Amino acid sequence: MNRAGRKLGQLASRLLLIAFILIASFPIYWMFNTSLATDSELFGSGQKFVPQLQRLNEVPQNLAEIEILKLLGNSAFIATGVTVLSFILAVMAAYALSRFKFHGKGISGFFLFSTQMMPEALLVVPLFALFAGFGLLNDLTGLVLANTAFTMPVAVFIMKTAIDKIPYEIEESAKVDGCSPYGQLGMIVIPLILPSLAAAAVINFFDGWNEFLFANSFITDQDLWPASVGLAQFMGQYSTPLSTVMAAALVFTLPAIAFFLLVQRQIISGLTAGAVKG
Amino acid sequence: MPRITFDNVRKNFGKSVVIEGFSADIADGEFLVLLGPSGCGKSTMLRMIAGLTDTSEGDISFDGESVNALEPRERNIAFVFQSYALYPHMSVLDNIAFPLIMDRFKPWYHLPILNSIVRRMIRNSPEVKDRVLEVAKILELEPLLDRRPRTLSGGQRQRVAVARALVRDPEVYLLDEPLSNLDAKLRTQMRAEITGLYRKVKKTFIYVTHDQVEAMTMASRIIVMDEGVIRQIGTPEEIYHSPADTFVARFIGSPPMNLIPGAVMSDRVVLPGKQELKVQNIPSVLGGQTLVGVRPETIRIASSAKESVRATVVSVENLGAETVLGFVFCNDANSDSLLTRDNQSTFFAKLEGSHSLTEGAEIFLTIDTTNIRWFDPDSGSAFLDLS
Repeated sequence: MNRAGRKLGQLASRLLLIAFILIASFPIYWMFNTSLATDSELFGSGQKFVPQLQRLNEVPQNLAEIEILKLLGNSAFIATGVTVLSFILAVMAAYALSRFKFHGKGISGFFLFSTQMMPEALLVVPLFALFAGFGLLNDLTGLVLANTAFTMPVAVFIMKTAIDKIPYEIEESAKVDGCSPYGQLGMIVIPLILPSLAAAAVINFFDGWNEFLFANSFITDQDLWPASVGLAQFMGQYSTPLSTVMAAALVFTLPAIAFFLLVQRQIISGLTAGAVKG
Repeated sequence: MPRITFDNVRKNFGKSVVIEGFSADIADGEFLVLLGPSGCGKSTMLRMIAGLTDTSEGDISFDGESVNALEPRERNIAFVFQSYALYPHMSVLDNIAFPLIMDRFKPWYHLPILNSIVRRMIRNSPEVKDRVLEVAKILELEPLLDRRPRTLSGGQRQRVAVARALVRDPEVYLLDEPLSNLDAKLRTQMRAEITGLYRKVKKTFIYVTHDQVEAMTMASRIIVMDEGVIRQIGTPEEIYHSPADTFVARFIGSPPMNLIPGAVMSDRVVLPGKQELKVQNIPSVLGGQTLVGVRPETIRIASSAKESVRATVVSVENLGAETVLGFVFCNDANSDSLLTRDNQSTFFAKLEGSHSLTEGAEIFLTIDTTNIRWFDPDSGSAFLDLS
């Protein structure tokens, strides 16, 4: 292709990219815009396209009324619990599935991943019965357990793929150097799969943060609602404080974005390059 | 310091037998090379000494005590992997210090956060740091201590791997084809460095390679293996000059030993093409068909037909300092050399200096009969104790 043609292609792909970004980010913009509109504007036909920034100082007041911090705190508890618990379980499961030979390895791997074939909604009723028996209803730890069960296999899969790629000789070398199996996992394998760990953490965290179905079914105590359920409850039969809900929804996305940015730096691969000549 | 004994060691992977009845002794302070073609079981053997692979049967003993049940770290060995197996996420300094850190490691150091603090503390302690610097100095790694393995060249990575082995001052060094990833020039240099290291530390080295040059130049003794079986144990000279069987004869030397089929008469051997070679003191047990083992460098060009054999040149490789000549024997009964060429294999002579010979030329060759080895054509084993 000649130079002009290449330039033209580049321009076209950039324009396409900009279009996609606009389409993807417009709802967020509209969320922001709506959160600053008055009810009369919203339910009339007068919503302006430009955000009414002068109403910005009213937003904290509105959010405080719906106890946003409590809602976010509950969501954070679930998300953090799911992330930490899945990390511990998934790292060990992935290491075992990748490195050890044992009877039933194939079948246990299959069962682990088969949980992904079932929709969560299918298990709401049996889990409800189970949680009632264990006294886990109206308990955030119950939600941590339920979500970990669903999201951990994904983490196992991501980590196992990463561990498979590490040359086994590196661990053998550590073994000769006097490193215990736990040491090999903690000091050699985990540092080498950090990018994959970060990816798994993002997935697990978002799964916990976005938790709605189980929380909506198992949590009746208003104080324990995560933000997702809490926001949904404002969609009242008679009135919906739309601008406040939108403001809360916006705040709800912020920690998730912050977490993503935090681990994003780790999601770079190529750390194992140079371990062996290649 | 250990003497390593193998007592009928066997290894199966499922149904396939990798090592069959391996029995040998390795003396303390020896530079032993396990030599053989790829897939002969030599690396498996080394891994069994290290404890990275279990034996299926038999005992490996250090100083008479079986180490079968011992973990690698309890055997006081160091292992240099073919791929170096450096820790990619650690600096060169941390890589070298790692075995020392592990020596001082307690189970509760596994706790996260505490782990990295403790490791840094141990690494910075004077005894560890001094030792690491001492080893880094020996291997000239001082300017590279802060670098990561991926920023190093192949030769530098090799040095780091050796330094990591050296740092704990083990009794036995196990090296698994450590030079095979290096280019030819660097390989020669590292060969000298490893030999130098061996002289310096005066410990037992067990070195696996498929490269006969490495084996011949470095070893104090060589074990030649093929398909999980020991073919010969001996010094490089013994392996070269008195190969135990046709496998060793064909494996060692470049070009390898000529194995010329011959029929033994009273004072001479009849070679292909009815060429006769007079040999004094033919071993009396020899009779009938035999394989005559002749090293290429014991063959010379003769000026006359007297006491020589006639041959046709089929290939000439002039290397400057030496010339490798491929030839077939001429047929005395029928001098149509094309016919003989089809019927017999090519043999090689290594001549000193440059020779301008052309393919198809007929020449006279003398064979130094004092260095001939005799082989049984059926079993392939040598008649060793005859002359």
